[in-house]
Amino acid sequence: MTSLTAELTPVRKSILPKGGDTWESIAARELPDVAQSDAVGMLQSWNLHVFMRASGGVGRMRGDNPILPSDVIFVEAPHRD
Amino acid sequence: MYDLVIRNGRIVDGSGMPAFSADIAITGDRIARIGRVEEKALREIDATGKVVAPGFIDPHTHFDAQLLWDGAAKPALSHGVTTIVSGNCSLSLAPLKAEHRMKLVGMFNQIEEMPLKAFKEGVVWDWETFPEYLARIRKGLSINVGQLVGHSVLRLWVMGEAAMERTATADEIAGMQALLRECLDAGAIGLSTSYVDMDETLKPVPSRYADAAEVDALAAVLSEYDRILQIVPEFYDPDLTIARLDQLAEISLKYGISTTFSPLFVNADNIAAVNRVMARVDEQFARGARVWPQVQTRPIDISFSFAVPSLIFIRLPGWYNIMRFGSPEEIIAAFAGGESRERLIAEATPMMDLWSFLKLRQVASQANQQYVGKTLAEIGKLRGVTALEAMIDLSVEEKLDAHFMAESMGHNQDDQVGPLLRHPRVHIGASDGGAHILSFSTYGDTGYLFGHFVREAGMLSLEEAVKKITSDTAAIWGIPDRGLLAKGLVADIVVFDPAAIDRGAEVYVQDVPGEGSRYIRDAHGVDTVIVAGGVAWSAAEGYSADARGAIVPPALAAAELEAA
Repeated sequence: MTSLTAELTPVRKSILPKGGDTWESIAARELPDVAQSDAVGMLQSWNLHVFMRASGGVGRMRGDNPILPSDVIFVEAPHRD
Repeated sequence: MYDLVIRNGRIVDGSGMPAFSADIAITGDRIARIGRVEEKALREIDATGKVVAPGFIDPHTHFDAQLLWDGAAKPALSHGVTTIVSGNCSLSLAPLKAEHRMKLVGMFNQIEEMPLKAFKEGVVWDWETFPEYLARIRKGLSINVGQLVGHSVLRLWVMGEAAMERTATADEIAGMQALLRECLDAGAIGLSTSYVDMDETLKPVPSRYADAAEVDALAAVLSEYDRILQIVPEFYDPDLTIARLDQLAEISLKYGISTTFSPLFVNADNIAAVNRVMARVDEQFARGARVWPQVQTRPIDISFSFAVPSLIFIRLPGWYNIMRFGSPEEIIAAFAGGESRERLIAEATPMMDLWSFLKLRQVASQANQQYVGKTLAEIGKLRGVTALEAMIDLSVEEKLDAHFMAESMGHNQDDQVGPLLRHPRVHIGASDGGAHILSFSTYGDTGYLFGHFVREAGMLSLEEAVKKITSDTAAIWGIPDRGLLAKGLVADIVVFDPAAIDRGAEVYVQDVPGEGSRYIRDAHGVDTVIVAGGVAWSAAEGYSADARGAIVPPALAAAELEAA
């Protein structure tokens, strides 16, 4: 199936995780030029829907959620409108 | 002689073309003629002054359980809805192994707010496979059903408990593909998945443990059958919604299938975000992808009592936990006084604006009738307490049978909602029919479309509105032979008064198995609803025993299966 036009307006860049991905592995792959601890912090701040979600299960703490295989992970800051 | 003739109506045929005057003759389940019909019929309906339109199609419902005890999906049929799509949001009742039944009931209870007792009292679990479930609901069906396969239940069947823990192996994905083919062969209309929902233990539902490769493999199977993929994206965030619709668009382009996501709400504070999402939808359609956003017609109203958990409290863990896991006695005790009351008040006080805005909609006692219809702010003032304390005190006094309503909380500005509904790449849907039955009425959205947006606001023409919820929906979902009034097509027809059609007031009724209750709205202005040539409901006679509902699309015939 081919697309009618190829051009899409640039939007905030995101990825879908690979198997076994962690914040560290995504940081190493997507932000290789940034120190890992900084890169992990940046990723977590751009992805509060994953990092701070309350859905880890009864008794679980926010922030200890694993990255789910279906999660959208943003690899850059929000664009200014 | 024809079986049925509808005379002197104003035909709005679902194509969007201007209305015209004509008669419609029906033989068996098909439209035999549209024009001037001289011949007599076994039954005749005088539609003078009324509109005759194709039956409405509601693409986003959760009637899966209700269909087991109510083949008319009441009151949807009486609103003119002749076809519903069930099994949205990754949840269907089949295919489902016996050992996973309670897991699924838990998910339906948590996500769609279906009472546990309704499943206990209203469901005889005598199926496991998808064909068995369809055979079960087909008995006594008065409304047509397009049944989606839930991605979460596919995973449960193939992976068991691991469905809620990890990605699938290549063999497991192949197993899901085979199982999906079995469902599609039997007549499934497509596949549904969810990226947001949580189960009864507040863990992500199984579909959220699927990686992109698994979704891609299942989409490949949908492509073999030209069937649709429905998703629930992270609709609260425009960047996430756009990322999901881009993902959907790639699937749509790669496999040539239709996709849809729901819901999309618009409010004063997110109009810019919705405009961004719609701009992306337009771009993706321009590329040739089909990514249909679903938009509901009705404003957001939420009602609740403390007798059952309500999602309105999901961001207040102390409140939600006591509502979800506490007995009525424990809830009353927690509200009545002491440290627990103080803790709950402290937790909810930052949301005082919301509590003040709530209205008391219903109580059992005579003593408190004086407060019905007033806001909690007004009641609090009369009682010398805060709005929050008034809500708690009334609930204790009424033994939790005090009902509160947050009316028109959002999606309620005509100048924002109207243009969205009219947008050529917006799919009117997302009613959630049959779900959230203790929070709001999910029936009457079609009446509201005609009564409010067509008649009162004049934001859509009658022809546009009918097209949106008939032929557009049939085309998006691949429902053959329905959605239009034309010779040879199935006679699913609604006759209504354009000057009166609307949704009635929301009322609380007890008609759910297990002595359960729900909020519903009656239909106004609908005269007759015809399914496959038979009168299924009429204002004069109510529901008919003539059950002609079908599974749409029909199961593939043996020859087609062999060819496939």
